[in-house]
Amino acid sequence: MGSNASIMLQQEDLQNICQETGFTTKEVQRLYSRFKTLDKRDCGFLIREDLLCIPEVNINPLGERLIDVIVEDYGENNKINFKQFIFLLATFRRGKTKSTTEFNTRNSKLKFLFDMYDRNHDMKIDRTELLEVLKMMVGGNIHDDQIATIADHTIGELDNDGDSSITFEEFCETLSRIDADDKMSMKFLS
Amino acid sequence: MYKNKHSIFLILILGLIFHKYYCKEQTYIHNQAKPPRFHVAEFNFDHVSDVYAITLWILLGSLAKVGFHLSHRLTEKFPESCLLIILGLIVGGLLYITHLAEQKAYVLNSDTFFLFLLPPIILEAGYFMPNRPFFDNLGTILLLAIVNTLFNTICIGLTLWGFSFTPLYGGTQFGMLPCFVFAALISAVDPVAVLATFTEIHVNDMLYIVVFGESLLNDAVSVVLYRMFDSFAKIGQENLIPLDLILGFLSFFVVSLGGVLIGIIFGVVACFTTKFTEHTPVLEPLIILVYAYLAYLTSEMVSVSGILAITFCGMVMKQYVSFNISKKSDATTEYVLKMLSSIMETIIFMFMGLSTVSDHHSWNTGFVLITLLACLVFRVIGIAIFANLANCWRLLELTRIDMLIMSYGGLRGAIAFALALILDETKIPRKKEFVTATIAVVFFTVFLQGITIGPLVKCLNVRRKQIEEPTMSAKLTNRMMDHVMTCLEEISGSGGSNSLRDKCRNLDRNYFKRWLLRETPQEKMDIKLLQTFKKINMQSAMKVHDTSKGLVPTPSSTTIHTSPSGANLRPSSTFANFSQLLAANLPEQTVPDLMFFESQGTEHYHDDAQMHHFLDTNLYRARPRATIHVRSKDEMADTNNETNNRFEKSYHHRNHIYIPPRLDKEQLHGRKTGRSSSGTNRLTGAKAASSTQADHDSRSSKHSLIPSYKRESFKSTNSPKQRQQQQKSKSRSKSPPLSSDQPIKSLSETKDIDQPIPPVSIVIENEDDTVKMDGATAAERICPWRRSSLPDGEKLTSTSSIDDPSNTSHTFSNTNDPNLHSGPLTSANFSGAYNKSAEYMGEFATITKPEEYVSRPHVRDLFNNQFRTSDEKQENNSETASNESVTRL
Repeated sequence: MGSNASIMLQQEDLQNICQETGFTTKEVQRLYSRFKTLDKRDCGFLIREDLLCIPEVNINPLGERLIDVIVEDYGENNKINFKQFIFLLATFRRGKTKSTTEFNTRNSKLKFLFDMYDRNHDMKIDRTELLEVLKMMVGGNIHDDQIATIADHTIGELDNDGDSSITFEEFCETLSRIDADDKMSMKFLS
Repeated sequence: MYKNKHSIFLILILGLIFHKYYCKEQTYIHNQAKPPRFHVAEFNFDHVSDVYAITLWILLGSLAKVGFHLSHRLTEKFPESCLLIILGLIVGGLLYITHLAEQKAYVLNSDTFFLFLLPPIILEAGYFMPNRPFFDNLGTILLLAIVNTLFNTICIGLTLWGFSFTPLYGGTQFGMLPCFVFAALISAVDPVAVLATFTEIHVNDMLYIVVFGESLLNDAVSVVLYRMFDSFAKIGQENLIPLDLILGFLSFFVVSLGGVLIGIIFGVVACFTTKFTEHTPVLEPLIILVYAYLAYLTSEMVSVSGILAITFCGMVMKQYVSFNISKKSDATTEYVLKMLSSIMETIIFMFMGLSTVSDHHSWNTGFVLITLLACLVFRVIGIAIFANLANCWRLLELTRIDMLIMSYGGLRGAIAFALALILDETKIPRKKEFVTATIAVVFFTVFLQGITIGPLVKCLNVRRKQIEEPTMSAKLTNRMMDHVMTCLEEISGSGGSNSLRDKCRNLDRNYFKRWLLRETPQEKMDIKLLQTFKKINMQSAMKVHDTSKGLVPTPSSTTIHTSPSGANLRPSSTFANFSQLLAANLPEQTVPDLMFFESQGTEHYHDDAQMHHFLDTNLYRARPRATIHVRSKDEMADTNNETNNRFEKSYHHRNHIYIPPRLDKEQLHGRKTGRSSSGTNRLTGAKAASSTQADHDSRSSKHSLIPSYKRESFKSTNSPKQRQQQQKSKSRSKSPPLSSDQPIKSLSETKDIDQPIPPVSIVIENEDDTVKMDGATAAERICPWRRSSLPDGEKLTSTSSIDDPSNTSHTFSNTNDPNLHSGPLTSANFSGAYNKSAEYMGEFATITKPEEYVSRPHVRDLFNNQFRTSDEKQENNSETASNESVTRL
């Protein structure tokens, strides 16, 4: 993974990326320029602070958690270079039947969501992890007891094997009724 | 049953006829009588005839609707609109036979239609428009509404005109321009018919909004086209110059944008007006309705699209008005709108059937068939073209099945009919054929398509409206997806609709809300999510209740100590039908329809107090704030009484006094309304009395005992830290019981006005109360969002024990009452402050409302806790205020 993305995007790199991710050249170029904009220190990778500078991310209750996922799971050493960045975003390309790559399957999208909960990577969402996310999402408006209740119920809903944690399969199952594929897709400008 | 109804109608009609004849006779006799004498009684039907007829119509319509719904088999198979048309036909036949049809009031005339019947329906549609799906699909809707309608008009017009050269019409000549006039009126999809049909079949929101949005917005196009071709026909084909076409094209923008603008202006003015109606809340619904109607009339006056105007007026008002007006007014507005639109719709369909039976017909088989075919074919073609075009940019593509339903749902209705009726026969000689063809098309679409679209939707397995129960995981994840996608779009710089929506929201928050609302909500937290949780919590309460029924066999048995979280949710066993009650209200309906109101009837259960308590337990209380707008006096008075009664009823019978772990505001209020707070001591006592009766029976296992409040508790608690700790502390199982001398004394004062209440309910209320306390505290010991990031950094774990129990009561009495004024605690203040409790029912109703209601700010109190940064300050304010008040008292 070329961590030195500060050099201009090479033609063959571009081709590779396009092939792997299914982005069009223009989209990749646009994303590259976006990446450069975010990379204010011009060192070829983004760190947490770079991402936190985006106001919408900053005020988003899940913003920090999202950045955690991004830099830890998709990047390495708490930074994310362009290639990783684009692989990350490739996950959220629309999953049209014709242009599905390994990145933008429904599963990978759900995996991303799952990772939002599962920060210790044991492929299970346990109660504490759920509680953490819940607290982020509801803020202080709900008392711990009630958050706990909600967490308990959520786990109860999802947990089939009775180990009081949610596996990825269980997670996917409950989301089967949600159009996650659509919801987790966005439009990339070209 | 159904037959019964019919005989009622017949009697009604006969009565009407009889009246008519009798009246004629009477006047005749009257004229004959030479020397006028004083009449003891006079029969003067003419004097009231028009209004009388209208009222009878409304009555007939209502009765018809009632009657239809008595028979489930009937309404399952046939859409209501069909039944109404049939009824109209029958009545029309009767009137025709009796020659009453010549009377103006008995047939549909377009003035009545456009000025009275149509606006309420459209207003209701706009007011309950699911905003988000609407704007998400706005591009598609506009494309379909404008281009598709234009395409349809031109194609249908050309086809009809083209066939006039064949012998198909039996030699009847149709000019080109009249054909286009007719095409303009027939090509527009009718919002009333679509609304009537689609609300019954419950397709998914996207599909619904695309079709319905199209039908609303194409009004501008069809009005312009209709008017344009109509005036062209009057000008005469040979006198037309290209300039006319260009002007017509320009007038489209004037008509549509003008309509939208007028609507928005009136909506904004209405919102602004409601900013100042706090002292006259009874007028609030009226103001809303009048402004909307005025928007419609104004735009009709300046001949721009009234439908667009009233739609947008409704949408704008909906956004802001409900933040301003009281919950009662809000509910009233909604109810009145539903009522009006439902009866107007009924009348429209009846009138359609009625007006069909008349002499103004000229059946031309060829023309009718061609029209019908052209309408169907071009609808399909148009949808196919433009839906595919829209798919180019749509994220969620319209599938073939969607397109099929969209084209099949292209119902024509009363608007076309009314437009056909006002054609000028001198300019358009084939008016009768047009009217007949219009009726044929309308009947075909409403009957054939309307009846079959339901089975078709089932058959094709169209994605239905998600009626899933809101599972927590699903909601959570859904919300998480939204957050994630917004962030990611921002990161990727795509500026997709998500971030655009965010920007709109910001604009809305920063400017519109500030100007139009009485109080500026600080919407930093996710209100909708909270509401979802409320809903979820209700549901889990139901579930827990259902499962725990067996656990609590008799009310008097000691309550089983459930897990802390379980205790929050465990409702009392009196609510035997509670889950059904909730279930009735729970189905989510974003599509505005009547089911919500129908099901709302169940909420008229008799025991308000218990439900309030229960709700208090399970609903999330919001962060207290120091100030709240002064509620109207009426409401104050109102709630004063209500709460008095309620509290007397709930608490008077209790003997064992406990201090609850935390006092919630209802209890506080109980104290105030008990008028027992003559001094600080009394105050405490009353509080204890009103709030702590809880669990006296189920006492033994109870955990919610708190140390007695000391007099010192009314010393000021100045350290926010302390307070915070208390708020956060879990005092439930740690507090010693309280001696109950004081409370009883004060209690006895309130006793005089008390009503005795059945002993059974005592226990239940107690249980309920316990539950409530837990719930209330849970809800009220709110720490602001991201409080940990505040400078004081007081991050306390919830398990920290009470450090200073003596402060608790004080703290809670102030900071936890969201409605508390920062001023002195006068009784007026309190009754006003408490008025919310009277509206718990409203809250209950709204909570289980469809998704679109979720955006409704009945949780306006939730806003308080949004402004986190000023929390400390606010608390200090309220604190000082309360200190002040305490000393005064």
